[in-house]
Parts: sequence; structure tokens; C-alpha cells
Amino acid sequence: MTSRPELTGHASLFYNQKEARKYHSSSRMIGVQREITERAMELLRLDPNTPALILDVGCGSGLSGQILEENGHVWLGCDVSRDMLTVANNTAKQQSQQPPKEESMQQDDSDDEEEEEEEEGASTGDLMHHDMGTGLPFRPATFDACISISALQWLCYSNSKNQNPKKRLLRFFSSLYTVLKRGGRAVLQFYPETADQAVLISETATKVGFAGGVVVDYPNSAKAKKHYLVLSFDRSSTQQQQQQQRPLTTGMHEQQQQQHVTVGSTMEGANNKKKKAPKKKKGVKTKEWIVHKKAMQRKKGKDVRPDTKYTARRRPHKF
Amino acid sequence: MRLLTHNFLQSNVKGTEKGYPLGIERGAELSVESSPVNRNLVLKMLNKVDYSALVSITNNLREERQEDIPELPPSLPETLEEETIANYHKVLFDVQLVNGFLVCPDTGRKFPVKDGIPNMILHEDEI
Repeated sequence: MTSRPELTGHASLFYNQKEARKYHSSSRMIGVQREITERAMELLRLDPNTPALILDVGCGSGLSGQILEENGHVWLGCDVSRDMLTVANNTAKQQSQQPPKEESMQQDDSDDEEEEEEEEGASTGDLMHHDMGTGLPFRPATFDACISISALQWLCYSNSKNQNPKKRLLRFFSSLYTVLKRGGRAVLQFYPETADQAVLISETATKVGFAGGVVVDYPNSAKAKKHYLVLSFDRSSTQQQQQQQRPLTTGMHEQQQQQHVTVGSTMEGANNKKKKAPKKKKGVKTKEWIVHKKAMQRKKGKDVRPDTKYTARRRPHKF
Repeated sequence: MRLLTHNFLQSNVKGTEKGYPLGIERGAELSVESSPVNRNLVLKMLNKVDYSALVSITNNLREERQEDIPELPPSLPETLEEETIANYHKVLFDVQLVNGFLVCPDTGRKFPVKDGIPNMILHEDEI
């Protein structure tokens, strides 16, 4: 990639009216977006028969949303560029105004009929103007899954003095952790400029409690190379999944195919350290610290025991 | 913006405790377009919504647009008839907020909705 739009300033400034329309009508973009979204769906491993609620972060003009719709899911897109959203909104309106296609085929059973209805009904997506770096504004445990196509890298750049990329990434991931349903998955495709950025992103994701890692498709091609950050709650299933879903490669260089940046293994290391840590740091867990920690967990929407006079009290020596 | 989306939105302005549910300021412009009912989808989404918030916002909107918006039972009935499902579909998917304001219940911060797209962008000092 020779020129990076991320370096030119804020995403909402880059994707202005002209750029947004260009983006949406470019057949190359549509093709690339479709391919990425389909791959992301594959990595999400959703049940194809039940409609899911999916969050699309950085939905842009809704190209990825169209594919979610085709699969019968309900999606909610947010983007920082108002012009992109306007394009998406107009497309959705046009689609709903078009008369439904005539059904030429006879339907054999009721299941088919339902599927047809899904395709012909109005758009199942909804849009929202929002900056992901300020945390996602949703109720805890709302979404079944989250996808993000070519958006995450924007968080690695700061466009004003008081924007700190690390803080913005942390805020994004911790809010993502909150709004995803337990057992949900997030697949975020991004274009890191340097290897450091990919590490920073996956590290931040691990810090907030996610398990998972980066899957690299076509690692040996400069242009077709794609990074997918696959995040989930359950660590054991992620590792299985990583074994099953090898990155795609062009047939010629199959030996070089495995380029996972696995976060899972570092996670385990971190856990081992945690077990030892309390011995060293005796006395650090003061009442304030525990109350603060509980408050943070509560904020994430978790069930936490109420604070009482017994909180942080030591057990009697023998039980 | 659908009421389904409204049901998931939560304000995260600095200083909010819960920030849920967001109110819809009076005088908002609504549109109601009917679309084919998808039974599966409605049932799936009903599992996800916060039912009391959905009922309270529907009742608020009904004060102004009673003829378009069906009344919902105060608690989710155990057996759903086709007609009730159609009503839920209408409330969740067909009623759209086009122009107006969403209001954070704790801080009173208003989020403008324009052409059906809510603007949830926060300023740096609101995080």
C-alpha cells in the first residue's frame, strides 16, 4: 500500500461526500469488501439458520451490511463519517422502494418461503453516527457478534492533541467486551501499517479480557494480505478454531502459510504469573482497591456481590 | 432509526450511572412503513430487547401517534398469537424515528437524530 488515507487526518474528513460516493460505486471496492466480509462471516461461525444481531463497526456505506442482510441477520452499523452513512441510508431507501421481485420458482416448503421473505423485506440494518474510539454506546451483552471491515487501523492514529491511540483502542475494546454477548465472537479485519500496530491492537484486546488472535490471509502477498483479529470469550474453543481455520494462501507457498500472531499462548503465560503474584504483593489488595475493582466489573455489566462491611475482610485464621 | 435500535442504545457520556433507557423528546418526527412480518426474526429479537423499556417508549410515542403505533401488553405474554407478533414487528421494525432528539436520562445530554441516523458522537471532554 503506497498511500494511507489514515495519515491524512480524521476519517470523517477523508470520507467526504465525493469520496463516499466514489467508494460506494467502485466495483473494485465492492468486490474487495464482499470478499472480506464473507471471510469474516466464515470466521464468525454463526448458525446460518438463526438470525443474529450483529454490530458492524465502521460500516461505511453499508457494503458489508448488505452481505449480513443476505445471510438473514439483523445488523447495526456505526461509522464516524456522516457522508458515508448518508450514502448507506440512500441505498437502503432505494432498495425498499423497489418493487419486490416476482417469485418465479414454486416454493416447496415453508422454510423456503421465510427465507424469501427475508430477502425481499426492507433492509434489516440500522445506522448510527458514532466514533468507536469513545466507546460503544450500547446495553451490556446485546450483540451476538461483531464485525468490522477495514476500520480498526484508524484508531492507531491520533488526529488531535488530546487523542491518545492507546486510550482510544482500550476504550473501544473494553466497550466491545461489554456489549458482546458471552460466547459471542468478533472478527475485525484491519490494515496495520507496521507490525507494531498489529501487536498493539491484539495486545489491547487481550488486556480487556478477550481471547483470540490474528489470522493472516495470503501472508506472502503485499496486496492481498489481510489481517483478521478474531476475538472470543472462550479460550479453549478459540484454539480449536485456529487449528481448523488455517489462513488462506495461494497454492504455491503452502509451507509458509502459518503466520499466526497468537495471543492465546501469551494469555496463558499471563495467567500463570497472576497465580504467583498475590504472594509477592501481599497487602496491596486494600479495601479501596477491591471496591474499585468491583465497581469496574459492575460497570461492565457483570454480576458482582454487593459491597458490605465484610468486603475485603480477611478470613479467621482457621476455618 | 428503529425502536429496536433504540432499545439497545445506552448513553455513555461522562457522569452517567446507567444511561438507559434513552428518552425520545416530544415532537419527534416519526415514520411508519409497513414491511412483511418475519416471525422468526421477531421472536429472536423479542428475546433480546429490554421489554419494560420497549413498552414505556411505545406508550410515550403513542401519546402523539396513537393511530399508527399498536399498544403492547405490559408484560410479555407466554403464548404469542399471529396478531401480537405482527404488532411487535410493527413496533420493532416499522416505526422509525426520523428527526428528533434522544435524551440521556441521567445527564439530560441530547443526541440529535437526523434523517433516521442518530448522532452519538461525544466531545473529548464528555468521555
